[in-house]
Amino acid sequence: MIQKTINKELKELLRDGRVRISLFIVLLLLGVAVWISSRQYQHNNRDYAAAKLSERAVWEGQGEKNPHSAAHYGTYAFKPKYPLSLIDQGVDKYIGTSIFLEAHKRNEAQFSAATDQTGLARFGDLTPDFILLFIIPLLIVLLGYNAFTKERELGTHSLLKSAGAKGWKIVLGKWTALFLPILTLTAVLLLLAGLLLSNLTDYGVFQWSSLAVMGLVYLLYYAVFTNLVLWVSHWAKRSGISLVISLSLWIVACLAAPKAASNIAEARHPYPTRQEFAANVIKDKDAGLDGHNPWSKQAKLLEEQVLKEYGVDSLQQLPFNFNAYLAQKGEEHEAEVYFKHYNYLKEQYENQSGTYRSLALLSPFLPARFLSMAIARTDYTTHWDFSDAAENYRIATQKFLNNNTAQNTTYGESGYKASAEFWQELPQFDYQPPALGQILANNRSNLTILGIWALFSFGLLFFTAKKI
Amino acid sequence: MIITNNLTKKYGDFTALDHLELSVKEGDIYCLLGANGAGKTTTINLLLGFITPTSGSAFINQLNVQENPLETKQFLAYIPENLMLYPSLSAVENLDYFSGIGGKNLSRIELEGFLEEAGLQSEAFHKRIGSFSKGMRQKVGIAIALAKDAKVLLLDEPTSGLDPKASNEFGNLLQKLRGKGVATLMATHDLFRAKEVATHIGIMKDGQLKQQFVASDISLSQLEKAYLETMEYKTYAS
Amino acid sequence: MFRYNFKYESILLFRGRWIQVLNGLLILLFGFATYNGQQKTQKRKADIATINAEIQASDQNILKLLDSVEQGLQVNTRPWTVPNTPMAIGNYHPRVASKPPSDLSFLATGQSDMFTHFVKPTVSGDDLALNFSEMTSPVQLLFGSFDVAFVIIFLLPLLIIAFSYDVLSSERESGSLRLLAAQPISLYKWLMQKLALRFFWVVVITTVTVLLVFVANQVPVANNFSTILSFLAISLGYALFWFALAFAVNLWAESSAKNAVALLGLWVLFVLLIPSILNQLGSTLYPIPSRALMINEMRTIKAEATERQDDILDNYLRDHPEYAVNDTTQKRSFWHSYMASQNLVKKELEPVLLTYENQLQKQQQLLDNFTWLSPAIVVQGSMNQLADNGSESYEGYRNQVIAFAAEWRDHFLPMLYNNQAFSSEDYAGLPKFTYTPINNQSQSSVLLILLCSVSVVLGVGALRFYVSSAEKHSII
Repeated sequence: MIQKTINKELKELLRDGRVRISLFIVLLLLGVAVWISSRQYQHNNRDYAAAKLSERAVWEGQGEKNPHSAAHYGTYAFKPKYPLSLIDQGVDKYIGTSIFLEAHKRNEAQFSAATDQTGLARFGDLTPDFILLFIIPLLIVLLGYNAFTKERELGTHSLLKSAGAKGWKIVLGKWTALFLPILTLTAVLLLLAGLLLSNLTDYGVFQWSSLAVMGLVYLLYYAVFTNLVLWVSHWAKRSGISLVISLSLWIVACLAAPKAASNIAEARHPYPTRQEFAANVIKDKDAGLDGHNPWSKQAKLLEEQVLKEYGVDSLQQLPFNFNAYLAQKGEEHEAEVYFKHYNYLKEQYENQSGTYRSLALLSPFLPARFLSMAIARTDYTTHWDFSDAAENYRIATQKFLNNNTAQNTTYGESGYKASAEFWQELPQFDYQPPALGQILANNRSNLTILGIWALFSFGLLFFTAKKI
Repeated sequence: MIITNNLTKKYGDFTALDHLELSVKEGDIYCLLGANGAGKTTTINLLLGFITPTSGSAFINQLNVQENPLETKQFLAYIPENLMLYPSLSAVENLDYFSGIGGKNLSRIELEGFLEEAGLQSEAFHKRIGSFSKGMRQKVGIAIALAKDAKVLLLDEPTSGLDPKASNEFGNLLQKLRGKGVATLMATHDLFRAKEVATHIGIMKDGQLKQQFVASDISLSQLEKAYLETMEYKTYAS
Repeated sequence: MFRYNFKYESILLFRGRWIQVLNGLLILLFGFATYNGQQKTQKRKADIATINAEIQASDQNILKLLDSVEQGLQVNTRPWTVPNTPMAIGNYHPRVASKPPSDLSFLATGQSDMFTHFVKPTVSGDDLALNFSEMTSPVQLLFGSFDVAFVIIFLLPLLIIAFSYDVLSSERESGSLRLLAAQPISLYKWLMQKLALRFFWVVVITTVTVLLVFVANQVPVANNFSTILSFLAISLGYALFWFALAFAVNLWAESSAKNAVALLGLWVLFVLLIPSILNQLGSTLYPIPSRALMINEMRTIKAEATERQDDILDNYLRDHPEYAVNDTTQKRSFWHSYMASQNLVKKELEPVLLTYENQLQKQQQLLDNFTWLSPAIVVQGSMNQLADNGSESYEGYRNQVIAFAAEWRDHFLPMLYNNQAFSSEDYAGLPKFTYTPINNQSQSSVLLILLCSVSVVLGVGALRFYVSSAEKHSII
């Protein structure tokens, strides 16, 4: 009987001209989006590879130079693109892809794509995630809003009941018929993306497991929508009302709630302005980490300590250049200052995430979006990870350079230049995004919320089935 | 009065109406009988100007319907099979609206007068139409015809869904209008009511007017037999 | 007919709760959006005020120090920050170049969440190092803002669609259309009037709500009356477009359900798809070259410049003999070489940067040529313009800051190369920055575009109506 319902519903759907047209259009859009996205992905990766190579060449080709000059000259860390970014661009458009690593300063990523685009960019891009997150739920609304109301309006509802049809069977049949085309669409898209990505093996390591988990997240998201749309269809008296309500749900969930949430999160836990941040960093650098332990004092203490350790009376007697050693320690102190301030930013972001989570009660879109971005390694957390890795590399680089000076010069010597081959000894910056397991663990709360939505919506539907 | 001259309507190869010659004079009540798809509704739609004829013409009060759509509607009143009106407006408000947009500016007393004349109880005047039965709604439809001072009345299945009392009341209303000189064309399945109120009866099949009678010349059972024969059903021993 | 239509349409809308629901919804939506926008504006103002206060305080300090120094007293600051050298003032006591929010900034967030609103350009700083982007959570940038522009561009059309998708089809489905068609009226006129009346109510409710909400949120309405009028005119023009669309779709004589689906499809097309496709087209046809490669070019040029410092300085003085003349002491400080090489680097990098600017401009041009494709894009541009938060506005600000930075630099360079000291009297002559909002788009042209779109749609609808004499498309 369930099978019969499924067949009948599917037949009705496919014979409806509007449905055929909308399915066709969605497929077309998906195709275009995937094509554009893959071209972009390949282009970005070529860029990344070229930039990395050329930057390394610049670094190694510095010739004879004082290591501290090289430290100021600096180097760049570039952010690689993870394969699944083809499906979900996440926040990549709004963050830069390169961080400048220099002495005494921790910099932010520069040159976000959005700053290089016109105001139209804020409308959104024709990317697969746009279709997956916005258009497919709308499709669910359009396909399913009259699932129950049409039976009432055509008068077939009483026929069904008098034929002895069980409530839950009807519901299951309709649910499956609605979900099947969506499932097919999603599966086709993900399969297509997977095949494409596995053929581009030059760039990044593609994992089917990540793709599968992403697929599951989206399917869960669609299941929630399917449940809600069917529940509204059952509850509403007429098709018109059902359409309006389901549509309002879509608007609130996908458009209004995220915007409202971002405004509220920003208002409650604001970021400092760039100027404020820089000013605070300078203050701490001058006055010491907690205001009353300036570096000048610490340096003196360090001097005494080292002299005692090596059992000598003056700095010239040390087996290494103390100035270089002090410079390195100073560098590490500054890094701590930056660490403290960037940590504050992270805390603010964590607080903001908390706001998003609490507002996710209004919208299943929010947890799905965050999860999708996280799995595609295009979310803000992955960027923080990259940023921290770059910082660690920067500190290691400074140590490498200062150490060289410390070992190869004596106290008070000036004009030292490292050999031209020295630069090659610095290991390359290699960043690997976190593994899937780690990401899922970090996003436990989002998974839970999506799970709650699923349970809640299935629950609603269950009670509907009882009432039929 | 209503006159059709070789009125024909074809949809591609399908002939909905085939050279209809019809004449309804003032004071006549003409009942058109026929099965679904015989052409009754097509005739009414053509008279209303909702569709245009393939050939032939229709006249309302000597005005060609096709050439003078707005003028003919001045004299025309129409009650469709499912007269819905606006459920959240009252009877008086509905009447006011429909006569008002046609150009008739009536006072409340006048409106109530027409509703009363149409047989609606006064308690119902200011109640919302959403709560009315079909019979009550039809009375409002008649009131619209009265308020318009219509000379021609077109009815589509007016008695379907009415109980015998309401059906009888409706028949009386039609007689009242006939007394005012209104020419009425009524498409119906209700042989009984047709025999009760009509002055003339026509039987249609496949777009053609097969038989015409003067109502007083024929009995109800004869009418039924003629109807069934036209439909080519076997009649049982009468 | 009109009087009756007006009276009864309004009664129907009121009894059907439409007016109340619309009113409530619009108050809620506009209220939240305006409140949000004002919050952001207040924060922006507060940030600028804070920084101005800091500069004020620091200036007081300068004057005190200068006073001490000029009297020959010792001062207790680091030697290179003592304010009696031009470079010290130029680098450690810069002026604030700020972009204050306009009175109507709350209308549209535009690009204001991406860029910073005050910069302090120094003499030795690089124009390229001037970082105009602001520290914001990119998630916030991704989701966008719940501002008045969002309500108007995205939500208002949906309300209008819900309000009018079945204006003809419900009459047809309930049967009252046949009765109406039997009256001596023109159905076309009747439908136009019904929609016009609904539009009238939308105008009334929107205007009242907007003004109420603005006043409640302390928007200076009186000072900005004409701008607010423009805002209302454009929003209502946009609403008119959607009503016209509803009119045309209703005339296609389909069921209410199909009308709804068609109108929603059109909403997705105009509000979501066309903008994103256009954006994609822009970046595909005129892609911005790789910033990463630009970085490499820059660094190579800078590295070469560093090596040739002395040569560069000699060349520079050759080009600016007025400085060499006064350089009696021949004292070449670090700053002399530095400023000269900065100048050279800037010259050599100009062509590289120009390519980026050109591509961006070409993108903008392409988009400007095609904005008429979607009223949503036109209205967004217009809202950004009214709020002074669009990308052109920030570009204008950037250019003004760069010009000021040059002015600031040029103020001190002569002092540097003539080895002049900075004194208290020089303080009054320091350049100041004033922001001038650019005004590149006339709102009347926007209104024109909207009205043209409306007439195109109405025309299509009318054509359909007159063609519908073929009965299978009869609106009855």
